[in-house]
Amino acid sequence: MATATTTAVHDQHEHPPAGIMRWLTTTNHKDLGILYMSFGAIMFFIGGAFIVAVRAELLLPGLQLLSPGMYNQLFTLHALIMVFGAIMPFATGLNNYLIPLMIGAPDMALPRVNNWGFWILPFAATLLLTPFLLQFSGVGSGATGAGWIMHNASLDLQSGIGIDFAIFTIHLLGLSSITGAINVVVTVLNMRAPGISLMKMPLFVWAWLITAFMLILAMPVFSAAATMLLTDRHFGTHFFDAANGGDPILLQHLIWFFGHPEVYIVLLPAWGLIPHILATFSRKPVYGYRAQVYALWTICFLSFIVWSHHMLTSGLPLAAEVYFMYSTMAVSIPTSVLVFCWLGAIWRGAMTFETPMLFALGFVAHFGMGALTGLILPAVAVNAQYHNSYVIVSHFHYTFFGGGIFGMMAAAYYWLPKFTGHMFDEKLGRLHFWLTTIFFNMTFIPQWFAGLDGMPRHVADYPLKLSAANLVSSAGAFLLGLAQLLLVYIVVKCVRGGPKATGQVWEGAQGLEFTLPSPPPYHTFETPPEVK
Amino acid sequence: MMNEPEVMNEHEKRERRTVQLVVALMLFVAFIYAVTFFKLPLWLPALQ
Repeated sequence: MATATTTAVHDQHEHPPAGIMRWLTTTNHKDLGILYMSFGAIMFFIGGAFIVAVRAELLLPGLQLLSPGMYNQLFTLHALIMVFGAIMPFATGLNNYLIPLMIGAPDMALPRVNNWGFWILPFAATLLLTPFLLQFSGVGSGATGAGWIMHNASLDLQSGIGIDFAIFTIHLLGLSSITGAINVVVTVLNMRAPGISLMKMPLFVWAWLITAFMLILAMPVFSAAATMLLTDRHFGTHFFDAANGGDPILLQHLIWFFGHPEVYIVLLPAWGLIPHILATFSRKPVYGYRAQVYALWTICFLSFIVWSHHMLTSGLPLAAEVYFMYSTMAVSIPTSVLVFCWLGAIWRGAMTFETPMLFALGFVAHFGMGALTGLILPAVAVNAQYHNSYVIVSHFHYTFFGGGIFGMMAAAYYWLPKFTGHMFDEKLGRLHFWLTTIFFNMTFIPQWFAGLDGMPRHVADYPLKLSAANLVSSAGAFLLGLAQLLLVYIVVKCVRGGPKATGQVWEGAQGLEFTLPSPPPYHTFETPPEVK
Repeated sequence: MMNEPEVMNEHEKRERRTVQLVVALMLFVAFIYAVTFFKLPLWLPALQ
């Protein structure tokens, strides 16, 4: 009887419920990984559409299409969606799908929490976008326009309902992120197959373990700051209200204490997967494994003690300015270790340039530019000029897009055959890489020079002398957006069919996930593999 | 190769460790949230 029951349950697990119920109720890490990645991809296009509207407004000087208020809403939603709705969920999808496969675990440690963590996200996104949509029916004053982390206290305290929706969204996202992070920590520390010691884990798993610790430390601060904003707005507290003895700068401290680690939370998963891709297509082992692990931990530590370099113009005492300048510059040391290890991985390797490798190399080049420009910005003497200008916009897009998005695309192409069981169209993949690279640089190089010429962020208009830079940048942004439609076509085509992918997929690929067939069975490693 | 009681024992140990880790991490999150809410408004202005 016991045997029969076991078989029945086993059968049910092997054949999940069909249709929508499978996706609503699934606790399978691969299903949830696909859900997370699909959600991230959809939000990537929604966030992209918002910024296309912003760039359309900036195509010519003067106000053509958008009111300043609508402009503020669009760039704020673009940033919130891209960071919290697109890159983070996509990276979480990768960890859900890949970590159990990489460490030989049957699933994540907390599968039901995993399901809950995902299904919070669509509600959070709906909550964020609701006031934006309601304004077209004459209800409310629109979504928040206070910037991606709402660190302008007076704007936050005086804005309409959009900020309340954003505050609730942040709480929901915090809940989702923290549960997801706890799940990763417990899975990695507790579910590894025999033989996989910590220092034998793939770098992607290390990177996610460190990211999870960063989320656990940083996210409650962001959530608490949002709660304080809520109580200031509706329950009579005065944390940030200068008129009643509060401190508006306190909000900046709290928000940036979260906001700077958040940059690394977005980037670390990419830093963890890039060494695997570079090693695969160079036919070499990962270079400098230990150095990269220690560098990732060092960056994690430093990220929590440098937050006020975002506030160098807020009137900090000189000693604090000098401290934050040098501590921020110190981040370049472990970051350089990573970059040199990546270069070491391809040095004298038998390189081939398939699409994932192209995106990985694009990642190294563009992230390098973002990191180098980031080295200049904390210098107190020059920060006064660059602060809140398009120099900053250009810099952080080289890190977020050039680093984060290029990294995610490299990963998507690298593991897509593993996920779907089919090879994608390599020619189209390479075309997608080149179009993305050209139009990405066409968008953000002119912004650097516009910033140097004095163009401020968050303003819908600009002087005539900046017309050429903005025209090129807007054209680049439109074409960059169009080029991403090619990615949709490539992925859909790959899901529907194509040449069969082998288990190993790529000639030089290493790792437990490549010992499984492509796509892997619904349940894997129910008996832990023996790893030597 | 572990026999069945050893496998069960290992499974129970793993479950116990999972619960301990989850509780510890949740308490840590609550601690950070509380410190941010109650203490940082007093400590951080000293930086100014």
